[in-house]
Amino acid sequence: MDPSFVQALVDIVGEEFVSTRADVLLTYSVSASIGYDRVVPGTVVRPASTEEVSQILKLANKHKIPVTPRSGGSSLQGEVIPQEDGLVIDLLRLDSVQLFKDLRSVRVGAGVTFGVLDKYLNQHKLWVPVYPDSSLVCTVAGNVAVNGAGPGSGVQGCIAELVLGLEVVLPNGEVIQTGTEANPNAPGPFLRYAFGPDITGLLIGSLGAFGIITAVSIKTFKRMEHFYYQSYGFDTAEGAERFLSELRHNDVSIPMAAIYEGRILEFFLDMIGEEYGIPQTEWPPFTVSATIGRIRKDQLDSDIKMAESICMELDGRVVGVPELPQGEWEDRMWTFVRSSYVHGWWWMMLYHHQAPTNWHRSVEEIWNVMDKYGILGQTAGFLTGGRSYNFYPQLYFDPVDREEEEKVREAHRELSQRLFKTGAVPFKLARYWVEDVEEMKPYLQFIKNLKQNIDPNGIMNPGILGGI
Amino acid sequence: MTEIDLDDLREELLQCRRCGICRNSVYEAKGFDGICPIWRNTSGFETSFMRGKIQVALALLDGTLERTAENAESLYQCALCGNCTQICAAEFHPAHIMETVRYVLNELPNESRDKIAESIKSVDNPYNEDPSSRRVWLEELGLNVPTSSEILYFVGCTSGLRIQNIAKNTALILNAAKTDFAVMENEPCCGSVMMRTGRMEEARENAEKVVDAIKATGAKKVIVSCAGCLKTLRKDYSEKFGIEMPEILHIVEYSKELLAENKLKLKSLDNIKVTYHDPCHLGREMEIYEEPREIIQAIPGVNLVEVNPNRNTAICCGAGGGLRSYDSDLSRKIAADRMKAFEETGAKTVVSACPFCETNLIAGSKLLDSDIEVVDVVDLLRRAIE
Repeated sequence: MDPSFVQALVDIVGEEFVSTRADVLLTYSVSASIGYDRVVPGTVVRPASTEEVSQILKLANKHKIPVTPRSGGSSLQGEVIPQEDGLVIDLLRLDSVQLFKDLRSVRVGAGVTFGVLDKYLNQHKLWVPVYPDSSLVCTVAGNVAVNGAGPGSGVQGCIAELVLGLEVVLPNGEVIQTGTEANPNAPGPFLRYAFGPDITGLLIGSLGAFGIITAVSIKTFKRMEHFYYQSYGFDTAEGAERFLSELRHNDVSIPMAAIYEGRILEFFLDMIGEEYGIPQTEWPPFTVSATIGRIRKDQLDSDIKMAESICMELDGRVVGVPELPQGEWEDRMWTFVRSSYVHGWWWMMLYHHQAPTNWHRSVEEIWNVMDKYGILGQTAGFLTGGRSYNFYPQLYFDPVDREEEEKVREAHRELSQRLFKTGAVPFKLARYWVEDVEEMKPYLQFIKNLKQNIDPNGIMNPGILGGI
Repeated sequence: MTEIDLDDLREELLQCRRCGICRNSVYEAKGFDGICPIWRNTSGFETSFMRGKIQVALALLDGTLERTAENAESLYQCALCGNCTQICAAEFHPAHIMETVRYVLNELPNESRDKIAESIKSVDNPYNEDPSSRRVWLEELGLNVPTSSEILYFVGCTSGLRIQNIAKNTALILNAAKTDFAVMENEPCCGSVMMRTGRMEEARENAEKVVDAIKATGAKKVIVSCAGCLKTLRKDYSEKFGIEMPEILHIVEYSKELLAENKLKLKSLDNIKVTYHDPCHLGREMEIYEEPREIIQAIPGVNLVEVNPNRNTAICCGAGGGLRSYDSDLSRKIAADRMKAFEETGAKTVVSACPFCETNLIAGSKLLDSDIEVVDVVDLLRRAIE
């Protein structure tokens, strides 16, 4: 990379926070995205403020240097794999947290992880009820950039539903604020839909293609303190699916609920059952593992009765194994990391949303692909809001078996196409979801137009958002 | 140590799926409040914490990265504290594997590592001190301690040569309990730092020398006052070299027995508020968490308050893994950071059970200009002995 460009970066953030060392660049050539090729950037910079990010982007834009924003480095679908000889902006030093207790909101810098925020809010008996399975690593801003979700989102929905405003540095270095905070006289974040079009929504899930999110303002909620854990059994997938829908339709508060098919549950229990103390059980063909949570005990008692009544109406049964949902809930900030690691495989992930009533279609296609390619895998997921089921199927391979890895990459591509046909949708627009999909062409063209206008030099995370 | 199979080593390193949980995880319900002290106290690039270190190790092993001092820096800029292992879900021990990587790549330039190894080989201690001064502290105490006995106090280099109060107070505790014990005339170094920094062959030769020296004392039980010596003598010698050792006990374990047998009579100390620092080698490596706390709490008038985080998720003082020699400024900075956490407890005294931790915490305290006193468990216990 041009030494004068590097020196200009040093002038902005100080020598300590710029690196062109081979060892450092190597470590930024990958992320938690397994099954993606390594690409070595030219420089890494670690700014400490929005102003520094702004100056860096002005500079990169002037020199037309491709930029990859990165925070936790925990994304799984290649979102922060840089461009060759490009610039990586590591945002973890933006670690401010500002609570607006009266407005029931909090503003966090781009370097604040869910784990840090949760500890901070817990002092005030508050929370943000979304716990991505990588909560200990990923930042709130990073999660907004990928439009994530997580355990806990069964009631309020995915992260996008909670965002009240964003501070964003545009590719030309200008800083904009969305939501009520766009008005400097406002007391803080209290409404997302301020000043016309939902610019916040445009930036959520944009994978850094339109700018860098440097701060997120988000809703906080009173922390639930009363929980009930239960597993409910059904003979058919449709029964389990309807159960989830009816629970939410009847306003049963379930921060976490997951459907397990027998084979998948067996696999999961093999990994983590002993640790959770789950007893030997005659599991039904389909199990709904549910955590019901409420602020007040009387609300909880009412929900428990309602859940049982709905279960019976749908010819289901109460399995009576609370250890499964309880283990999931109490480990919610790392369940995924822990359960996925147990057997020593690497995996490729294909996050997607599916209508709860269509849960079985995703599962069918996941098994079909695994059978076709002769690979191992599993799928887990959870209810997100009342109307969507968040899937994260994992396809496994041996990290030292290159041939198997290639097979999994191919299976991953095919699975995305098959899932699209079932009606599933990605919450982040990875290239493979829309490549050569005729029905998506106008949509993609619109995004291309936006990109061209916002980032005419194409410096922001090129190739990541839908391949643009 | 068995020969390292490079394919096996690579496969183990590949257990890391790069999730990054080893960086700065805060999981209040599970007791985690930050993980890697190197990440927290450096520029914080990916190379500073274990995910990046593993990437560097793999690249140095397969030749993607040239084997230079600069490229290897991150491998040595690690205290091997093992907090990453506590949170890592993968089926491997990142801190131990880093030790193996250092051994396999021990031709990488590292001046401090080589100096220490040479010093241990030539004068039996890593400080290049005159070995004849090893028993001077005993003379100062005026105790007549033999060089052979069924119980041996293996003093360790830091207690014997640097923080002799620990050695003195250990001896006085043993004496107060009427324990007959010996101290070697020419005690060799346990070789811990050789192992941590990758000089494993020399560590093996050194271990044989240590074993012979211990055998010559007739000891059936060895008491140590250093967490590093404990781990090395009790765990590493058998696991790495297949060497059988007599019973090895840390003084906190032995003191607990003495207290249970009423062999130590304790007077009240004047309402002092103390906190405890878990040494990595005593805690995470040997899982000794409660004994030092039980001793502290057995002393009337002492109020123990816990620092956050503590026990298996405690943050390292920054001295271990050869870091204090390799990058002493960073090591002290980490200690100062840890001292800030101790200050937040409101305690006036930090108690530890490792002379190496104490040395570094004192250095950190100076850097921070803190007025908290740093002592060893034996110092506190000795004050309370009537």
